[in-house]
Amino acid sequence: MAARDLGGRPVLESVYSVIALVFVLVACAELCDAATVVDVYRLIQYDIAGAPFGSRLAGLNHHASSLHFAPGADLSRTVLVIPVRDLNLGYVKDYLSQRQPLGGLLFLLPQIFSFESKENSGNGEELLKNIVMELEQLLIHTNIPYPVYFAFENDDINTVLADIKRNDESGQPATATTGGYKLVVSTTEPKKVASPVISNIQGWLPGLKADGDPNQLPTIAIVASYDTFGAAPALSMGSDSNGSGVVALLEIARLFSLLYSNPKTRGRYNLLFGLTSGGPYNYNGTHKWLRSFDQRLRETIDYAICLNSIGSWDNELWIHVSKPPENAYIKQTFEGLSNVGDELGIKVGLKHKKINISNSRVAWEHEQFSRHRITAATLSELSTAPGLFENTGSLADSRNFVNEAAVIKSVKLVAESLARHIYGHQGKNIQIFADEGSLAVNPSYIRSWLDLLSRTPRVAPFLSKNDPFVMALKKELEEHTEEVILQNEVLDGMFTFYDSTKATLNIYQVASVTFDLLLLLVLGSYLIVLFSFLIITTRGLDDLISLFRRPPSRKVKTA
Amino acid sequence: MLIYFQELLKALIGFIDVAGLYFALTQLTHRNISQNHKFQAVGLGWAFADSVLHRLAPLWVGARGLEFTWDYILQGLEANANLVFSISLAALGSLMWLRKNKPKTLVPIIYACAGIVATMPSITSYLRRGLGWHFPKVVGFELFTSLAMAFISWQLFSACQRPSA
Repeated sequence: MAARDLGGRPVLESVYSVIALVFVLVACAELCDAATVVDVYRLIQYDIAGAPFGSRLAGLNHHASSLHFAPGADLSRTVLVIPVRDLNLGYVKDYLSQRQPLGGLLFLLPQIFSFESKENSGNGEELLKNIVMELEQLLIHTNIPYPVYFAFENDDINTVLADIKRNDESGQPATATTGGYKLVVSTTEPKKVASPVISNIQGWLPGLKADGDPNQLPTIAIVASYDTFGAAPALSMGSDSNGSGVVALLEIARLFSLLYSNPKTRGRYNLLFGLTSGGPYNYNGTHKWLRSFDQRLRETIDYAICLNSIGSWDNELWIHVSKPPENAYIKQTFEGLSNVGDELGIKVGLKHKKINISNSRVAWEHEQFSRHRITAATLSELSTAPGLFENTGSLADSRNFVNEAAVIKSVKLVAESLARHIYGHQGKNIQIFADEGSLAVNPSYIRSWLDLLSRTPRVAPFLSKNDPFVMALKKELEEHTEEVILQNEVLDGMFTFYDSTKATLNIYQVASVTFDLLLLLVLGSYLIVLFSFLIITTRGLDDLISLFRRPPSRKVKTA
Repeated sequence: MLIYFQELLKALIGFIDVAGLYFALTQLTHRNISQNHKFQAVGLGWAFADSVLHRLAPLWVGARGLEFTWDYILQGLEANANLVFSISLAALGSLMWLRKNKPKTLVPIIYACAGIVATMPSITSYLRRGLGWHFPKVVGFELFTSLAMAFISWQLFSACQRPSA
């Protein structure tokens, strides 16, 4: 019996401990309680010719505070949480220009800027959009030595912010001794993006060459740049700039591929469609694309139309040119467009801006064409040339501010005027792309591509070489055109970018030191009381007291 | 599905508690301990092992985070209740298996109380999941029940003492 016991005991015990371990693991799964976790997007960090801009740090581990902090408080180890709705731009401007020390900034964006929101834009939203645009311009052009993050408002973070405001107003700012909310973003330090790649996609629709005609057919180019740049690169969807241009280009390609598929309706012009990258960086991609053309192709291009931001206008569009308006080609193009515009009820204006060769700043895409001696014009809703990194598809440019009807009208305008030029129907009142015909502009095609573009951030240095979106654009062009070439180039070395654009923020509610000490005291006294109680009830009070008395010395016994 | 598996596991643990206590009370020989004190030693040892295995790992992993939660304090209180439960279960177990001359009327009560204490884990998880009680309420209920159960088993123990005394 004893032998069996000794053998059986360890086995049963080990079996029990294994089962207990399993139970522990199973129970552990229920106890993992996470604090509030939010997706945050970092401000862009970049250098222009070595000069640093944007937020230079990524890791964050500080207490949170709202704008109601006590004046004169030391904020070098706190993060300011600012909802954009209550933003006072002048205050932020002062803070940044005076270079005051700060632990970090967290901006809360209203849900309307998120791509999942389906609200329509009203008057209040326009004001908000302008505020966000100004904030972005301020942040992009400043060198900020602490982390700056953007997050979308949701219920969790709103309750946290309300709590923080309450604490601040009652005069109890969050520090290590008083407890409060602690914001932690644990991410690696940002590294340079080595050799950022810009990919240009071109599609070629050949025209009908008459038999026995040795001359090359003339070409018309339609170009749009598809990449964006914004304060938060993970949120730069650029629905209007230049998502609307890309969608219009794809729709025009589709319509003309239908026309050109039948030899009887194929025009005597080649059509070249170009989706270029590197738009915000002085149209670097367009420059490299044009440089790669061989001389013959360059000579056959009659003119090029560049599309830039045609998604949120009411009844006025602008044609921007760099050659003087008296030029024959320019006159012809402008008259063609304005005639069609009159029929569609669109007012088309002409703006002329001379190129300054010594200035490296290229504000419009057609200026790159002009520098390569190709006649070009840009069709846009913007009336003035945008500055560096303005109107490049940033945070404020979300799907809610783009009007599908505007894009459809722009497509009709460009397609009709092109078709009249190609088939020689200038001045005649013929509607080739009439609404009920088989060549009508397809609104659901436009809507689905706009939605896709509004969900895809497209900042060029963060698009890898075979990015799925670029491949999707290439595939779409392959469906409508005959020869599609993807050209990968390296971005101009003047611009350097740093990664780490997206992170998760953990919000912890940290207790103060006094609370910890108090808890320690309470638990200690509980244990002491329990111990004394047990000793008194089982052995008597004398035994408890005798624990503290020194044991009687031996000397007494011998005496 | 996972919930039923966890419930089954908890019921199994309760059953193993009884089986383990039976084994420790009857099979292991303690030489210098009288009948009365054997159940105390066994119950104490069992409760200690139970606490260490069930609560040490979550405490070590979870209590080192930045955010403070009351969970671990409540778990400590629950361990107190668990100790009392283990001792009462050991007492009832020693009554059931070590004492042969029990008054007939008390026998079903002894078995009933032992059954309640053994299924305590399932009862608490039902309260938490089925009725949706919060953790502090459940711990309060456990503390109260443990004291009640301890009182009942104390009465049963002293009632069974009388015939032999």
